[in-house]
Amino acid sequence: MLLNPSARDPAARSRLIAALTVPVVLWPLFRAAEVEPGALFDPDNLKVIGHFLAAFLPPESGAEFLGYLARATLETLAIATAGMVLAFLLAVPLAYLATGAGREQPTLNPLTRSLLTVLRGIPELVWALLFVRVFGLGPAAGVLALGLTYGGMLAKVYAEILESVDAAPARVLRHNGAGRPLAMLYGLLPLASKELASYTVYRWECAIRASVVMGFVGAGGLGQLMDQAMKMLNGGEAATILLTFMLLVFSADGLSGWLRRSLDRPPANRPSPFGGRSAFFGLALLAGAVASFKYRDIDLASLWRLEAVNSIGTFVADFFPPDLSADWLDKVARGVWETLAISVVGTLLAAVAGMLLALPRRWMPFTVLLNTLRSVPELVWATMTVLAVGLGPFAGALALALHTAGVLGRLYAEALANAPPAAGCALRLAGAPGSPAFCYGTLPGAAPQLVAYTLYRWEMNIRMAAILGFVGAGGLGQLLYVELSLFHQARASTVIVAMLLLSIAVDQASAWLRRKMH
Amino acid sequence: MKFSTWRRLALKGALACVAAAAVSASCLVSADEAVLRVSAIPDEAPTELQRKFAPLGKYLAAQTGMKVVFTPVSDYAAVVEALATKKIDLAWLGGFTFVQAKVRTKGTAIPIVQREEDARFTSKFITADPGIKSLADLKGKTFAFGAPSSTSGSLMPRFFLQQAGLDPEKDFKRIAYSGAHDATAAFVAAGKAEAGVLNASVWDKLVETGKVDTDKLHVFATTPPYFDYNWTVRGDLDPVLVRKLTDAFLKLDPAKPEDMEILKLQRAGRFIPTRKENYEGIEKAARSAGLLK
Repeated sequence: MLLNPSARDPAARSRLIAALTVPVVLWPLFRAAEVEPGALFDPDNLKVIGHFLAAFLPPESGAEFLGYLARATLETLAIATAGMVLAFLLAVPLAYLATGAGREQPTLNPLTRSLLTVLRGIPELVWALLFVRVFGLGPAAGVLALGLTYGGMLAKVYAEILESVDAAPARVLRHNGAGRPLAMLYGLLPLASKELASYTVYRWECAIRASVVMGFVGAGGLGQLMDQAMKMLNGGEAATILLTFMLLVFSADGLSGWLRRSLDRPPANRPSPFGGRSAFFGLALLAGAVASFKYRDIDLASLWRLEAVNSIGTFVADFFPPDLSADWLDKVARGVWETLAISVVGTLLAAVAGMLLALPRRWMPFTVLLNTLRSVPELVWATMTVLAVGLGPFAGALALALHTAGVLGRLYAEALANAPPAAGCALRLAGAPGSPAFCYGTLPGAAPQLVAYTLYRWEMNIRMAAILGFVGAGGLGQLLYVELSLFHQARASTVIVAMLLLSIAVDQASAWLRRKMH
Repeated sequence: MKFSTWRRLALKGALACVAAAAVSASCLVSADEAVLRVSAIPDEAPTELQRKFAPLGKYLAAQTGMKVVFTPVSDYAAVVEALATKKIDLAWLGGFTFVQAKVRTKGTAIPIVQREEDARFTSKFITADPGIKSLADLKGKTFAFGAPSSTSGSLMPRFFLQQAGLDPEKDFKRIAYSGAHDATAAFVAAGKAEAGVLNASVWDKLVETGKVDTDKLHVFATTPPYFDYNWTVRGDLDPVLVRKLTDAFLKLDPAKPEDMEILKLQRAGRFIPTRKENYEGIEKAARSAGLLK
């Protein structure tokens, strides 16, 4: 009985508009992603995935296979570590150039920043695919691909971290005549070091996941084994590889968690805060990096021989100019639309599933479920969803949803736990039952955080959606794979440009939406 | 003040020395050892290729007196590119990958030998659906090719489909690229694709070894014969070595048990010489199917 106009919802109009536009925008996207929940229960599909999953037991444990597996695991670790070293070396100077921290006048550095955007905007898998062609055969391609993309990401985040810490000490140093490098070294780094280190370690963990994925295009490691097992639908081998892989991700997760916790502890009360443990850790880090490059001789120096520079030159030259003929553009445009649809539908499904999983998170089985979903990369999920619902974009959307639900579930749970408790408590004390108290008390407080996390994941997912086509799950990926196989570099370059533009557009849209929500 | 300047200089000098040492060390690595670098298009699982190559590799090492190194890859185009950039000396190529290599090397890659069977190679169309009896029944179905640049798993079937009036991009519901011939059989057997096409030699092997269930899967069409696989060397390899390699392949005699083992793994009756002209038909087919421009 809303007879009193002042009791009407003041946000009614904007909510009504949103409620009307959202379906209008989403409907064509759901159509383009060919969402058919029925396909999940189609008896033929059930038989296909059922047979495959049944073959998971028992996992393959032959000595020859385990030998391959051990070598591939080491290779994956080596690729991830060497790639991170390269990324770090790339990120430090780039971050120094890009960041506004420690500068007298604020600048935007359009040049460095756009370089970072290009490095990040092209998925590492695409870099890997290109490098496999130029340097051929083996892990060097994976290392370079990781180095470039992660270098771009690290540089961007380093720059932002340096800008976010208290600028006063650095400013004082500069006013007293110190140069910018010194001001940053003594004024900013001590404040930012913990966050910088923690983010680097987290990225190393991501690099392990990513290096597995790059094996799918022939860059060596566990991914290459996984690709073969999945293609041959060899369930036993797939099961063993998946288990090994999850073990690897969990231990990396554990190790990085332990490192971050030790960074949080206050330093010991000694003249020098660096003791035996720091020295041991530094040495271990150095040894790990050297061993990674030595293992299966990741010989980056060979890149600088004249011959290699020449072959890179001719290879790159073939990509220009991109093929802009009308029918090719038409084909690429359809791929772009499908890719966008996969990313949006996948992220939305993940948001719903993640929310459902976040609510009862404190129970043990849910934590395990979330971690399992999260530890398996999208591309690996996609090899399974194409069996469950058939080839096509819906399989891609499902694969994104499965992995992202794991990530979002964990983030949502944290956001809900950190939401201001007062409103929910007040409602409960006033006698409201659990669910309304949650919906009207806790949820609104956590909402901005939830939305921000979801949009961030969407930005990641658009990059993933662009490559799911490698395993037949729709989008631009298949076009790129086929054209590169046929040496149609001009057409491939159109696809790569389209991927880049798409990811930039999504970044912008997501930033705009986040501003709107605040 | 002075001290610190000196210290700084010393530090800088040390850094420069380390950098110079690292660069020069990495440049000195490439000492020339007599190594024959071999690879093969991954038309079957790479582990399978390695197993198949082991005895042949030993034999080639004995015949040429060189160390033979085989690098398995999981990407067809990577082999072509490696041959063109001289990262490998000898490669097992398909008909179409040979044509690609010829184009990429500006006509210098030389095919030396092929298996007797490769002069009359065919592809088999397979399905598990009893309703599919001819190529025309494929309309509206999902279909699996091998790798996009496979001759017997993609190019020639595409060409013959085209001649039968079918355009894979328009007439099939969806196309998948399995990546390898044995994977195509697995795709179709599992129902991931309703029909598919693979090379006759791999199909025969799968049937002989009981890896496919012929009650379920059946061949419903076979292509006309065409030239396929060969062993190719890069054009600027020492002619004496090329001669040695060619002779080594041609000398393999099915009557000798130790040679027979090598031939059996390569699924070859024996090896015969081949030449570039044999692959002109493939090149024409590739142009007309739009796979080569």
